[in-house]
Amino acid sequence: MFFWKHTKKDEKKSKGLYRLSSSLEINVYWFRSDILGHDDTIVYRNFKSKGPKDRDCVLIYASNMVKHEFLSDYIVKPLMDCVIPKYLGGEDLATYLMERVLHSDGVNLCDDYGRLAEKILSGSGVVLIDGCDMGIVIHAPGYETRPVEEPPSENVVRGPRQGFAEDLGVNISLVRRRIINPKFKTKFVTVGVQTQTKVAICYLDGVASQTLVDEVQSRIEQIEIDGVLDSGYIQEFIQDSPYSPLPTIGQTERPDIVSARLLEGRVAVLVDGSPFALTMPFLLVEAFQANEDYYNHWITATFHRIIRYVSFFITTSTPAIYLALVTYHPQLIPTNLVTSIAAARQNVPFPAIVEVVAMGLVFEILREGGVRLPRPVGQAISIVGAIVLGDAAVGASLVSAPMIIVVGITGVAGFVVSILYDVAVLFRLWFVLMAAVLGLYGYILALMAVILLLASMESFGVPYLSTMTTFDPQDIKDSMVRVPWWRMALRPRYLASSDRERLQSKTRSKR
Amino acid sequence: MGKRVLKALVLCLIALFFSGCWDYTELESLGFVFGAGVDQVEPDFVIYLEIIDSDGGGQETQFTPKVLSTKGRSFSSAARALSDTAGTSVFWPHVSVFLVSEEVAKQGVLPAIEYVLRSRLTRSTIYILVTRECTVEEVFKSKPFLANSVSDHLDGIIALQPILAKFYRVQIWEFVSHLTDSGIAVAAPTVQLVHESGELVPIIEGTAVFKDDRMVGWLDAEESQLFCLLQGMFQRPHIVMDTKIKEGVYPITYEMIGSNAEIKPTIKDNKPAMDISVELRFNVTEVGNAQINFQSEEEVGSIEEQLAHTFNRRIKDLLEKLQDEYNSDILGFGRLLKRKEPKVWRRYEDIWDSYYPQLAVNIEVKAFIEITGLYSRPVVVRD
Repeated sequence: MFFWKHTKKDEKKSKGLYRLSSSLEINVYWFRSDILGHDDTIVYRNFKSKGPKDRDCVLIYASNMVKHEFLSDYIVKPLMDCVIPKYLGGEDLATYLMERVLHSDGVNLCDDYGRLAEKILSGSGVVLIDGCDMGIVIHAPGYETRPVEEPPSENVVRGPRQGFAEDLGVNISLVRRRIINPKFKTKFVTVGVQTQTKVAICYLDGVASQTLVDEVQSRIEQIEIDGVLDSGYIQEFIQDSPYSPLPTIGQTERPDIVSARLLEGRVAVLVDGSPFALTMPFLLVEAFQANEDYYNHWITATFHRIIRYVSFFITTSTPAIYLALVTYHPQLIPTNLVTSIAAARQNVPFPAIVEVVAMGLVFEILREGGVRLPRPVGQAISIVGAIVLGDAAVGASLVSAPMIIVVGITGVAGFVVSILYDVAVLFRLWFVLMAAVLGLYGYILALMAVILLLASMESFGVPYLSTMTTFDPQDIKDSMVRVPWWRMALRPRYLASSDRERLQSKTRSKR
Repeated sequence: MGKRVLKALVLCLIALFFSGCWDYTELESLGFVFGAGVDQVEPDFVIYLEIIDSDGGGQETQFTPKVLSTKGRSFSSAARALSDTAGTSVFWPHVSVFLVSEEVAKQGVLPAIEYVLRSRLTRSTIYILVTRECTVEEVFKSKPFLANSVSDHLDGIIALQPILAKFYRVQIWEFVSHLTDSGIAVAAPTVQLVHESGELVPIIEGTAVFKDDRMVGWLDAEESQLFCLLQGMFQRPHIVMDTKIKEGVYPITYEMIGSNAEIKPTIKDNKPAMDISVELRFNVTEVGNAQINFQSEEEVGSIEEQLAHTFNRRIKDLLEKLQDEYNSDILGFGRLLKRKEPKVWRRYEDIWDSYYPQLAVNIEVKAFIEITGLYSRPVVVRD
């Protein structure tokens, strides 16, 4: 439904009337019959103000979208208790009520039908009064949201345990609480013709380069889609190298990661309804960084980073190298190993390439099967996978034992760099195919192709391999290694902002 | 990105996938040869291969070495014929030892090893061995105690050369480079069979001395050790020497922990001669009941002198054997002369064979005792 392109006709229909009239009856009629028609969740609460010259009032809201008690205690009750001077009407009446009667901090005036309807649908109450051509909008959203909890996809041992929820306002507040600075700016853009989803562009003024912020904003503003349900939509629209399997925009569920990237001079995009924030530009090194690297001791962090690089190599290359060695270069395997592999393969009916591809496929099936299942069933899947398939397949001579080891280490290593998991699967398949055809030579060719692809990519004007292809001491401080905080005096050069000093000069001179 | 690019891409892929797999092999179709040997060259080549037969995939695998042999007019034809008997394609790159029988070595070793050198399937790092008083077949069919196969067993012994110090190890590329170089003769370790707990077990001991590509004689274990010493190979042998301490004579064991041997060609009376200076450093590993005071410079000096003297005499004996008996320049005196004194060498190049036995060699040995194990004084038994 959301994918249908909207037509001009729909637009017209929702604008049957543009401005409120001063007659309550007419206003309510239009709401009921046109703009909010055929919607039984909209509640029209009729009441009267006090006094001899009582006035008819209507509170309109969408049920379960507002705080019901708040509206009845602080809006309906004072209105019912107040005597409205009879000479007041129009905007003066609305202002009078706003200033003297209504006990709410978020009160606005609006006389636009469309805007009012929008407010009602997004969780505000609207009070209409007879003889007043202004609606009073009371901001009182009360819909259910997921509480702020630790994100399941990015756990930490040490570090803040808050994660984004679905509500945009909550998410922005989580970031703002970490960066208490007027330089922290948020720009709203509305995307989605039907869904009218709010998208926030966050950055640190003066730390992020203005060209980058403008570029992000202009790319988002150009999106014309009927609906945005997750930040993934935005990501696909605005990322560089859209045909490449590698991500050129970062994603995270953690406000601390977003804050850290903002402090580096990056831009973050938060989308209402999605707990995943986007950060840009995104470089390949970031895939190998984790927030815990910065909270733990820098030597441990460096060690963990190296583990991640090694794991990525293992998960992409082990099957291809195994295949190449076994089928083309048995002379390169140590003598004792080659004989035991040969022995293990003695009764296996399939050629090595079939074994590699089939086992890789089985692993992916098991993983995909386990991902979206409830936890207890997921365990069953892993037991079936590990014991039944693994052990029995070897016992039945369907696959050789070394192959199981190769698949096992490949799979486990793949989860280490989780952002690049899907990319690693693609690369692995590509390497395996080339290795099956040309041996180690083919593997090297395939590797070169991948490196060429990486070198040709960029993200918001920054080369994708920045800091990986240099030995500049300033650039590698936060790449393969993580130097101590007191050594990282400057923000990354590639983000090219005017304010590059991370440490104040006092600290720097001491160190 | 037109259709043409796509077509070109598809053609490239087709070319890749259709031409690619030409040397694709499956491991299980290969017979892994661990060791090879030549027992006879004339009139037909008789070659032996030790192939590993691996049984049972999965958890428990058994490796049984099988010895195969064939005859052929040449080594390669015989080797090809072996694939027939083995039923698999014989895979050479994992060969670690190459055995040459005594007879073949005496007749000339070159035809036997030429294929091994030239073939792309064999490595030039294979160790070459000569069988002594046994055939290649007997060696391959013997039963080593621990190793899976005879070749593994021999390979393991070769790796122990520095502490065994009983033979001179040489890889086939070096063997051939010495063979083709002027002024140096080749040598190779020898394999022998010994009786051990009712089984015949192959050991490596001693060195075969060649003249050109023909074997002319043997060096025993001790001579091999000195030969390796003079070649500058690192080794830590244990040497038991009857040492005179004060009034008594005791067998004391010394471990050589370092050596430095230098051979320098000199010209004496317009004739080439050789100066050998050797420096040996020892650790005293076993004293027995000899009462040596290692604090006494005099006593230690006397031991050092005796060691130097012994080694001097042994080296002299070795050189006598090489010069007079075998007339084989395995130490490469000629090559040293060629490098240091090319002009002199040119005069002697053609008559080197006849001059070599009368080459004057001056030997100087220095020995030092540096460590005395964990104890610096003798263990004295008291009541």
